[in-house]
Amino acid sequence: MRRVSHEWQKYLQKGFIDKKYWDGFKENAQAASVELKEVKSYEDAIPVIEGIIEDVKASSIAAVGGDESEKLNNIYKNLEQNCKVYTDKFDIAKNAPTVDIGISVAEFGVSETGSVCVDNYSYEARVTTMLPPINIVFMNKNNVVNTMTDAFAILENVFDKGYTGFVTGPSRTSDIERVLTLGVHGPSRLILFAVDGME
Amino acid sequence: MANRNIKVEIKEKLHDGTLRSNLERFSEQYPTARAKAYANVESIEALRDDLKDMKSYAVAHIEELADEFQASLEKRGAKVFRAKDGDQLKQQLMEICRENGVHNIVKSKSMATEEIKLNDYLEQQGLHVKETDLGEWMLSVAGQHPSHMVMPAIHLNRKQCAKFFSDELKEDIPSDIPFMVQTARRVMREEFLKADMGISGANFGIAENGAIGLVTNEGNARIVTTLPPVHVIIIGYEKLIPKVSDASKIMRLLPRNGTCQRMVSYLTLIDGPTPIIHEKNGKMVEENKKVYAILLDNGRLKAAHDPVMKEVYQCVRCASCLNVCPIWSTVGGNVYGHIYSGGIGAILTGLLNSLDDFAQFSDLCIGCRRCTTVCPGKINIPDLIQELRNRRVAQKGLSLPEKLIFQKIMTNRKLFHTLLRTASIGQKPVKSGKFIRNLPLFFAKMTEGRSLPTIADKPFRDRTNDLFKHNPASPKMKVAFFSGCNLDFVFPQTGESVVKVLQDIGAEVVYPQDQNCCGKPVIGAGDLDTARKLAKKNIEALESANADYIIAACPTCAETLEKTYKELFVHDPAWLKRADNLSKKIREFTSFVEQAYEKDKRLKVTHGKEKITYHDSCHMRRSLGIYKEPRKLLESAAGYDYVEMNGADQCCGMAGSFGMKYADLSVQLLNRKLHNIKESGAQTIAVACPACMMQIGGGLDKNAPEIKIKHIADVLAENLSD
Repeated sequence: MRRVSHEWQKYLQKGFIDKKYWDGFKENAQAASVELKEVKSYEDAIPVIEGIIEDVKASSIAAVGGDESEKLNNIYKNLEQNCKVYTDKFDIAKNAPTVDIGISVAEFGVSETGSVCVDNYSYEARVTTMLPPINIVFMNKNNVVNTMTDAFAILENVFDKGYTGFVTGPSRTSDIERVLTLGVHGPSRLILFAVDGME
Repeated sequence: MANRNIKVEIKEKLHDGTLRSNLERFSEQYPTARAKAYANVESIEALRDDLKDMKSYAVAHIEELADEFQASLEKRGAKVFRAKDGDQLKQQLMEICRENGVHNIVKSKSMATEEIKLNDYLEQQGLHVKETDLGEWMLSVAGQHPSHMVMPAIHLNRKQCAKFFSDELKEDIPSDIPFMVQTARRVMREEFLKADMGISGANFGIAENGAIGLVTNEGNARIVTTLPPVHVIIIGYEKLIPKVSDASKIMRLLPRNGTCQRMVSYLTLIDGPTPIIHEKNGKMVEENKKVYAILLDNGRLKAAHDPVMKEVYQCVRCASCLNVCPIWSTVGGNVYGHIYSGGIGAILTGLLNSLDDFAQFSDLCIGCRRCTTVCPGKINIPDLIQELRNRRVAQKGLSLPEKLIFQKIMTNRKLFHTLLRTASIGQKPVKSGKFIRNLPLFFAKMTEGRSLPTIADKPFRDRTNDLFKHNPASPKMKVAFFSGCNLDFVFPQTGESVVKVLQDIGAEVVYPQDQNCCGKPVIGAGDLDTARKLAKKNIEALESANADYIIAACPTCAETLEKTYKELFVHDPAWLKRADNLSKKIREFTSFVEQAYEKDKRLKVTHGKEKITYHDSCHMRRSLGIYKEPRKLLESAAGYDYVEMNGADQCCGMAGSFGMKYADLSVQLLNRKLHNIKESGAQTIAVACPACMMQIGGGLDKNAPEIKIKHIADVLAENLSD
């Protein structure tokens, strides 16, 4: 998968991340309507995702990032028992407008805002996260920075070209009578798996 | 822009119940919601300073940044154009459309394209263009204009929205909000999937790497910049920032101020061409998108080189200046220009359109300065508006009645004061209309919601001989009293209270008889030459008093004498020095007395049986920064129990000539104030500004005569033995 950088982790570890930022991240993410799931391992996410598939009667999924993580790839293989899972970028491009769930990854979280930083240089990552009504995201629970200032200090090092940014909860609008409504153009649900000790 | 009848438009808005209740609810909730969004930052002020410094650096280096931004993007494979105005941009864009065989276009929000009316043009050229922001889409369907930069459809209710949906889609759409949103998703998704081109604006453009930042909650900008094979970025020069890390300086403030969120749902950063996978000749292929950026000037570069107006580059289009504006929150954004509304909108219209367009609604800024307390870029919006007013007067001159009043009457103190005295003897009705409105006193005809005061039988200046007999035998200091027109001719008894209170703290009080109007109405109208004449007369008169302090019990006079005179003489060293010396002696009455009472240990909180509350004058609170002192004085005033009211610092609606020119609107602001006063349960409302006293007093007289209004000087004098 094409990426803005392969060195996110290297810069994150230059004093930006700390476990103490988790609580703030959790509070702000939940305030932004993120459905946060803390799991010990990838495997623990499988039954939760299966539950979601059942709840929404999902029949197909677009999933990216499996090429870079064996554990993620295993999840995708597992999910294939319940549901059609597209992982090839051409298949994703073709089917993203009609799939029920998109699964993707985030590089790190920002405590101050509850945002996750996403590296979306690849087209398949963008359509996976934006077109389906549900976006499931995997993130390393340890990768949380304190402020937006810190987040951009990392970007200053890794962002030379491409497509990146921050996602903070699902797509929303308050354009009619200032009533908050989720899921206008993008997903109405953002489900974030924060995985303990994810490498 | 055609000549508009703003007064008629305002009247319509005042009768629009939906608009009024939507705005009222919003402006009540906004301050608390904003504070909550900032609750987890250490210092808002530090963030505002960071943003201001970064943006002022950017404007000082705008050409270099534009060159760097262009080079960065070109290096990464994008094409960059510069457009000097809307016409040139349209030609460049049409060329791009032809080159790429574009027919269907999706757009995410861009104020710059609204400014040059791009959509109308593209449609005339036979192209299919869709706005994708829900609010913008509804308005474009309805043929309406956004009334707010961030909440474009805040003036509508769900039924009106449902009608636009139904008309556009030729389906019966119920006024159920989630259903409407889902319908928009469905309809717009088709547009996204068939689009050949996406046009986006940019919230910022980063020079060092050519990236742009897009801020949305709906996510439409992400789809606009992902699905179509061509992406055109339309970006104004003011959006350029030097470095990637500078973006955080915008992003820590923009969402918090704009929508009271700690962060928007999607902050998207795009740099150069990115891949797209689509079907081409029956086969799926992956290739790079075509990316174009057009840098729009349209008056921006001229503004960047303007020593005063360059400050507008500090604007990040959060629209929080509207959210706290008493006028916007009463009539909405459509009465301003049709693109940029509110105070910042007046300025942008003046710079990007013309001073004539600016002048059509520039006096809707009442100078209350609430916007300056929230603006992330710390723009002095009222001051920039004043500067543009001054320039327009310098360019076009004043209207005839203004010329007569300012230049022939007000500068001739004897004539001016004779006229005022005659008005008193004749006891109204004095001729109404333009003449009256431009005077610093408002003795025009009664209006519906308030009574206006009469000119006193005996002005303050004729009462001084008796008063000064009570000057202390061995004074601690000598003070000269600058009454200002209102305390001289309308409220002379308050002038007497001021003197008594000052004498009581050991001051010998003198009144230089040659003092004239401080000049504020003239300055407000932009006639600086006449203002200088008045200032010189006053400086001479006050110098001759040889006093230790000069006391004004009107915050507007105090501000004018202390601050504005120095600005008037910035190019005249001899008078600047005299203005500066004068400035050092100026004291606002309540803060001066509070200090003396504090020193004499006379400030002890009491709980008398009569409840009293306090209204902050805009100039007192936000220009002079005085708001604690009057409260301390009232808390310790014998016989009273001080209570705080809601919205104490909101403008009462007087605001100089505004209160007369836009009487209907002024009365609306007044009614809000009266409501809050009644709610507080106070039997007395105290003020420290004679103009507020006039406005609120007039409203109480008509609506709640049981509530008394008193200047703080009157409250304090009550407790002194004669």
